[in-house]
Amino acid sequence: MKDIVAAIDERIPRPNDFTSPARGPRTAARTGLMLGSCVGICFLTGLWSHFQYASPGWLPIGPDPAWLYRVTQGLHVATGVAAIPLVLVKLWSVYPRLFRRPRKRGIRAVVVGGLERASVALLVSAVLFQLVTGAINIVQWYPWSFSFRATHEAVAFVAVGALLTHLAVKLPLVRIALRSPVEDRLSRESDGPSRRAVLLSAGSASALAVLLTAGQTVPFLRRVSVFGVRDGDGPQDLPVNRTARAAGAIDGATDPGFALELRHGGRVMRLTRAQLTELPQRTHRLPIACVEGWSRNATWTGVAVADLLELVGADPASVVRVRSMQTRGAFASSELPADFASDPRTLLALELNGETLDLDYGYPCRIIAPNRPGVLQTKWVTSLEVAT
Amino acid sequence: MRAARLGLGALGIAAIVWGGWLLRDDGIDRLSSTALWLAGVVVLHDAVLAPLVVLLGVVATKVLSQRHRAVVAVAFVVWGTVTLAVANVLSGVGGKPGMDSLLHRPYLSAWLALTGLVLGVAVVAAMMKGRHRPTDA
Repeated sequence: MKDIVAAIDERIPRPNDFTSPARGPRTAARTGLMLGSCVGICFLTGLWSHFQYASPGWLPIGPDPAWLYRVTQGLHVATGVAAIPLVLVKLWSVYPRLFRRPRKRGIRAVVVGGLERASVALLVSAVLFQLVTGAINIVQWYPWSFSFRATHEAVAFVAVGALLTHLAVKLPLVRIALRSPVEDRLSRESDGPSRRAVLLSAGSASALAVLLTAGQTVPFLRRVSVFGVRDGDGPQDLPVNRTARAAGAIDGATDPGFALELRHGGRVMRLTRAQLTELPQRTHRLPIACVEGWSRNATWTGVAVADLLELVGADPASVVRVRSMQTRGAFASSELPADFASDPRTLLALELNGETLDLDYGYPCRIIAPNRPGVLQTKWVTSLEVAT
Repeated sequence: MRAARLGLGALGIAAIVWGGWLLRDDGIDRLSSTALWLAGVVVLHDAVLAPLVVLLGVVATKVLSQRHRAVVAVAFVVWGTVTLAVANVLSGVGGKPGMDSLLHRPYLSAWLALTGLVLGVAVVAAMMKGRHRPTDA
């Protein structure tokens, strides 16, 4: 049995078998610094997105600035994309360490060594999990049984926690590596790439990946971002995230008897679309910003929600429950906090970019408010109810 | 430094525990799917992708002249990692019928163009390197 183990062990490479001097702590610490920055921004903007979905009492998020979610969520996806080349180079630089054998014998050495390996495994696993599931989520493919939103949040904490723990363990080594010159005699004389070349490649690849995908968020990159999930186009110069057919909203939306219901306590008012168009109309330029990272500005025309609230005698600064006629999919209703309901830019929109709302954008009427995640900009609105 | 390390470690462990706590209400179906993906991505990297890169490195040292190795390695890192960063749109998965504004770009052509561009830059760089150091080989 011992012979078999020894024979297998003999065939598994050892760290010294990997000869490129470009691998190792000096490369790992520097790519780690770039990667850590991306992971940090990605984590904080992701956390922010959860706060925007359900604003906690201690952090009331208002409608200003209107572009805030557009920027934070655009950054979230962009830093996630930027992290992919960096994590691959980082893992390449430390890959030989996977083949380390325990230096000392004895239970304590095995336990300590095992714990260290387990913590690194957790870090690699959680970071790769986040990047892979995030990248798959933005193309709207869900080949798993867990809830993406909840699990992506939970594993984000595991990833950042494992990163901090890893940094705590490696801090002395990181300091030495960062203080040492990038190159030494060994790496300069190597016939492979120098450390500087590897670092430059990682940084350039990361920047290139962002450039080629960020056009879905950054308007002037639209033509350059050939790998963007969206290019910002759609039937009315805006992408569609859920069609009326997918939401099961066609029958309700095209019903000629449609009337919006306004409810404030016992007071109920019904307004047909024609009646809505006769009310004072406001036009605002506001972005749609999706959790998947894409966003685009558009010109919206409709009735201010605050004006509708006044029609039923409600304080414009009320919490409003918005219900959609969609019969399938999540977010069939949303809640407009008082700050948003009272903002004159928060509209029950009837027109988009000067045309009647397309069915896929929420015809007969939809909510559009400044600084809100796209899924909370409820489409195919059937009722607005003042929450008591 | 010791205090900073202890602080970082404690904060890190607290975050890991909190992340685990957030999954407490997941049933066995969701948890096993999460575990499968957590393990799957590591196996995919450590047992498939990384050995493949090592193998390509070994082949490169056998077929490439010394002075071209660095250029080819840099080109490969940029091309390979950018390709994996956009593998989500290249793979052809995702999207939904009737969703014309999602995944509607000619990704394969874009990738071929990227490949050609990286290859072109690498060839030019290799030629320039050869010109500057003609006796290097």
